[in-house]
Amino acid sequence: MKKRWFILMCAVVIIAMIMSACATGNATNTTAPIEPTSAAGEPTSVPEEPTTAPSVDETQPAAAETGIPVTSGECPVAVEEGATITFSGWGDDTEQKIYRDSIDRFQTACPGVTVDYVPIPDKFQDKMKAQMAGGTAPDVFYVDDQLMTAFSPSGQLLALDDYMSEAGVSREDYIPQLLTIFTQDDKTYGLPKDWGTLGLIYLPEAFEAAGIPEPTADWTWEDMREAAKTIADGGQMGGFCMNADWARFAPIVFSNGGTFVSDDNQTATLNTPEVKQSAQLVADMFTEKSLVRASDVGASWCGEAIGKKLVGMTTEGGWMVNFMKQNYSDVDWKAVQIPSGSVSRADIIFTNAIGVNAATKFPQASAALAIYLTGEENQGEIVNTGFAYSTHPTQADLIQDPNDKAISEGGLLEDSRVAYWGPNTGKVNDLVSKAIERVFLGDQDVDQSFEQLQEEAQAALAGQ
Amino acid sequence: MQKQEVRSPQSANLAAFWTFLIVVAVLLIVAILNAPTKGGPQVMESLSTYLNEVRKSALPFILVIGIGAVIIGILAGRVVRREWVDRKRRGDLLIGFLFLLPYLFVTLTFVLGVLLFALYISFTQYDIFTSPKWVGLQNYALAFRGLTDPVRKDFIQGLYNVFWYALIVVPVQTALAIALAVLLNAPMRFKQLFRTIFYAPSVTSSVVITLIFIWFYLKTGYLNFGIAKVLGVFGIPWENINWLGDPRGLFQLIAEPMGLRIPSEQWYLRGPSIAWMAIMFQNIFTTAPTFMIMFLAALQDVNPALYEAASIDGASGWQQFSKITLPLLRPIILLVTVLGTIGSLQVFDQVYLATQGGPLGTSQTPVYLIFSEALGKLGPIHMGYAAAMAFILAAIIFIITYFQRRLLERGTQSY
Repeated sequence: MKKRWFILMCAVVIIAMIMSACATGNATNTTAPIEPTSAAGEPTSVPEEPTTAPSVDETQPAAAETGIPVTSGECPVAVEEGATITFSGWGDDTEQKIYRDSIDRFQTACPGVTVDYVPIPDKFQDKMKAQMAGGTAPDVFYVDDQLMTAFSPSGQLLALDDYMSEAGVSREDYIPQLLTIFTQDDKTYGLPKDWGTLGLIYLPEAFEAAGIPEPTADWTWEDMREAAKTIADGGQMGGFCMNADWARFAPIVFSNGGTFVSDDNQTATLNTPEVKQSAQLVADMFTEKSLVRASDVGASWCGEAIGKKLVGMTTEGGWMVNFMKQNYSDVDWKAVQIPSGSVSRADIIFTNAIGVNAATKFPQASAALAIYLTGEENQGEIVNTGFAYSTHPTQADLIQDPNDKAISEGGLLEDSRVAYWGPNTGKVNDLVSKAIERVFLGDQDVDQSFEQLQEEAQAALAGQ
Repeated sequence: MQKQEVRSPQSANLAAFWTFLIVVAVLLIVAILNAPTKGGPQVMESLSTYLNEVRKSALPFILVIGIGAVIIGILAGRVVRREWVDRKRRGDLLIGFLFLLPYLFVTLTFVLGVLLFALYISFTQYDIFTSPKWVGLQNYALAFRGLTDPVRKDFIQGLYNVFWYALIVVPVQTALAIALAVLLNAPMRFKQLFRTIFYAPSVTSSVVITLIFIWFYLKTGYLNFGIAKVLGVFGIPWENINWLGDPRGLFQLIAEPMGLRIPSEQWYLRGPSIAWMAIMFQNIFTTAPTFMIMFLAALQDVNPALYEAASIDGASGWQQFSKITLPLLRPIILLVTVLGTIGSLQVFDQVYLATQGGPLGTSQTPVYLIFSEALGKLGPIHMGYAAAMAFILAAIIFIITYFQRRLLERGTQSY
């Protein structure tokens, strides 16, 4: 009997070990798709790389695919002899192709520099942090607000200002708001590689069915609300689609003269009348059912709700162009710039940059790559592919798709801004989403919810 | 002549001394490899820059480990001196440790060393790229601050959630696993086929299952559709629920029809949310079959003569099950309960994939919080705070497991 127990226990232990091994195996392979997760009602529906299109149809020949044009490019910075540098970024096949072409152009401009492109499509930020800690990070890599927070206070990123002046590039060449995230102590630690913003996306047929005129570029949020109510009352589809999401809420706040956090990133300003007024608009629309969440109509995000013709309007960004082309090519949709609020017209801007590892052995060549990739010459080529907007205000007219262009106009407005509030940005923005969710649930009214939010956001800004 | 040498206390003393040296050296190397220094390319450039950094910021850590290493070294030396005189036991000792050596070194470096590192880090403020700053018990206090300060309730809410999780998931999945095992142990046709089918959820990747369940739980998904159809037969209207996005708690759902409103400040009275219970259901679905296999294995071991004797004595089927099967399964029930509880308290992947801690934190779990704080998902990296939360969780798991053992082991040996 004893022996049997022993054997049984051994078997159990072995099974347990195999199971746990399997379990860990699974855990390491987890890839979290963005869209199904937002189906779960989770408020953060901003894609991880919000400035770029989800993916481009393989059959759509991007301009870059037609061959690398001979450029008269010059190397922006005098580079070290025989420099070999590594460059990493996230991105699907489309983005990788665009950056491979960009690197080819760079190597034509700066002969003698070998660039080793190592794309990291998944868990980019986690991997970069681990690599940086282990001293094996690439020389040049994408930087977003999360990596900026992790790297720049301890000096892991190279200040690019000296190299920029050597290259004859100044901060003024870029759209000014984009540099907010990547500036620390008046030094530039990343150059914006692309950006995105939100526009009002709508289905013309919804307006036709409701018998009301289509949105125009001088619409206000109140106009939007009226139209949404008319469409929703028709009973055929939802009016305006918006999740409990800080990014979709931000343009309303900005245009009503509010903001999440004061300019010095010290004080939360989320219980101000401007913010509450914006929240009240959203709450009222939700109560009168002119505003629906994507999950209410059976879509995983609002863009899909447009594609499936479940709602008349939503606010989405330039990624809609390729998304619709790829998945709902027969759906006729249009975009105008973001509606205006009681104070001005203002949009939210998303952006990512390219930064340089402070420990690189070839700072000249690395800085040259960062400057070249974000420079006007290369950005012009990328804009032509329809993949992303140029970070240079002079190239705003290069955007070809009319809808894409309409969306982008919101981001170029004077009062548009990046929702960046220093190192604890992520926490503050997440709390905003939760506050909106509480209002949607009827758990609290706008006053209670945003007073609580103010307290929570203040604590988050203070650090731990 | 050799025998004399062996018996001489001098060689035993020498061996003991060498043992002491080796043990101390190995432990110190492990400590240095896991020294709590800042990371980053400047430190990791070469061995000398790393050792420099260790000298600069991790001396207290090395010192504490060093003292521990000396104590362990002395103990090991004494054992060796005692065993050395007996030639056979000396051989066994040497060969035994020789075989253990590679595994031992890996374990010491990557398990024990990392554990000590994390323990040290939990008393510091550490963001990987700057040297850890000693803050004493501040991180531990921070984790529990949610008890008094509702603004910082994250960790407390996480614990609250996993307690409900364990309380519901463990009994249900254990009962279900026993039921399945007993059913599949009965003589019947196609037994193997059913075993395979029932076991399938356990071998399927939990990621795949979670993704399928996300669809299943959609507001316009199959679950709502099915319920609406079934209720429709009886003419009862059904309002679709967004299962994974609904933070309404169990008690809240019970209280509200009675006109009681539980305000959101008293979230702890609301009980597990709909979203959380949806994840519980999914977890029961995937883990019950895993434990079913264990019970099946144990059932093979029950002596059939016992049932035979019982049936001759006139025991009914239920009596046989409750008086013979269940008591004999007790050790496995203990194992399953303990493993289930540990797994429940550490639940992560379903949360990560399906809800990311939402809605309104009702599916927040300690491990998910540790993950997001340690990797700086929503702000600066708080390695120290994350480590402190991990140790609190480990302590809680240890205590619960201890009491479970005491409770369930009582009377196990009576057969």
